[in-house]
Amino acid sequence: MIFVTVGSMFPFDRLIRVMDEWTARAAPGRVLAQIGHGSYVPSHMEHVRRLSQAEFNDTMARSELIVAHAGMGTVITAGRVGRPLVLLPRIEKWGEHTTDHQIATANWLRGKPGIFVADTDADLPGAIAAARAAGAQEATLPPFADAAFTGRLRAAILGFLDQNAEPRT
Amino acid sequence: MKRQRIMAIASGGGHWVQLMRLRPAWEGLDVFYVSLDPSSAVDVPGHRYYTIRDASRKQKWAFLLVAASLLRILLRERPAVVITTGSAPALVAIALARKLFGARTIWIDSIANAERLSTSGQKAGAVADIWLTQWPALTEGEGRRPEHWGAVL
Repeated sequence: MIFVTVGSMFPFDRLIRVMDEWTARAAPGRVLAQIGHGSYVPSHMEHVRRLSQAEFNDTMARSELIVAHAGMGTVITAGRVGRPLVLLPRIEKWGEHTTDHQIATANWLRGKPGIFVADTDADLPGAIAAARAAGAQEATLPPFADAAFTGRLRAAILGFLDQNAEPRT
Repeated sequence: MKRQRIMAIASGGGHWVQLMRLRPAWEGLDVFYVSLDPSSAVDVPGHRYYTIRDASRKQKWAFLLVAASLLRILLRERPAVVITTGSAPALVAIALARKLFGARTIWIDSIANAERLSTSGQKAGAVADIWLTQWPALTEGEGRRPEHWGAVL
């Protein structure tokens, strides 16, 4: 199954429309799209408005390939389950997000293992082909951030709690 | 000993997923969580999990309702420390927690903000005791800048 997701915040009709048209042409087998509040309703892909967190994680794990906006929730979850990920960044001037930070996200993730960036709609079929050829990733993302980072945060938190403790008399 | 509680708060989607990657920082401590999606409770079994509605800074009334929900949560839980990975509702949470309850606050700007801080992240500098960006380059520039301690990836 190919899973298409626009994440949990804003609609992203452009991605859904392009993937719907691609699905009609390419007949790639089962395609499921999470379309959020989008107004374009696909006719060639299965779709849901929203999945629960557990359903979302489970669907990601069962997918052969994920095609998504360049959102960090999707990127991190795809990395955790080792699935190849095609990213199409949202563009601010088309009302797809409040800033163009997804372009920056796509640029720093470009070329990382398992990540295939489509800068434009026309790049999507090529990126999907490359992602399918790459297949599942053997190395999956560990569950937590680097221990040096979380350790420093923990020390800071414990320091705050210490200062807040009532002095012993 | 009193007020040893930690509030870990994030908006939905990527903000929440990033917060989850930082859990070793408060594992074993007295922590409760706040986010947007009721179904995210599955990620933090055994912990109190509150949901608030989403609102952007531009939706004035919705934003006030979010602030009221946060105030109720803060009154009930009285956290000593609030830690967040954003976004706008979390900025309100750390501002209220610090100004009304004297909590210590930690803001970690989302890793999605690679080229500039988020708007909320910029404002968080005024209400965060520890103010962090996940991008080293963003520690440089005019005026007061956030620190870089690491990244979720």
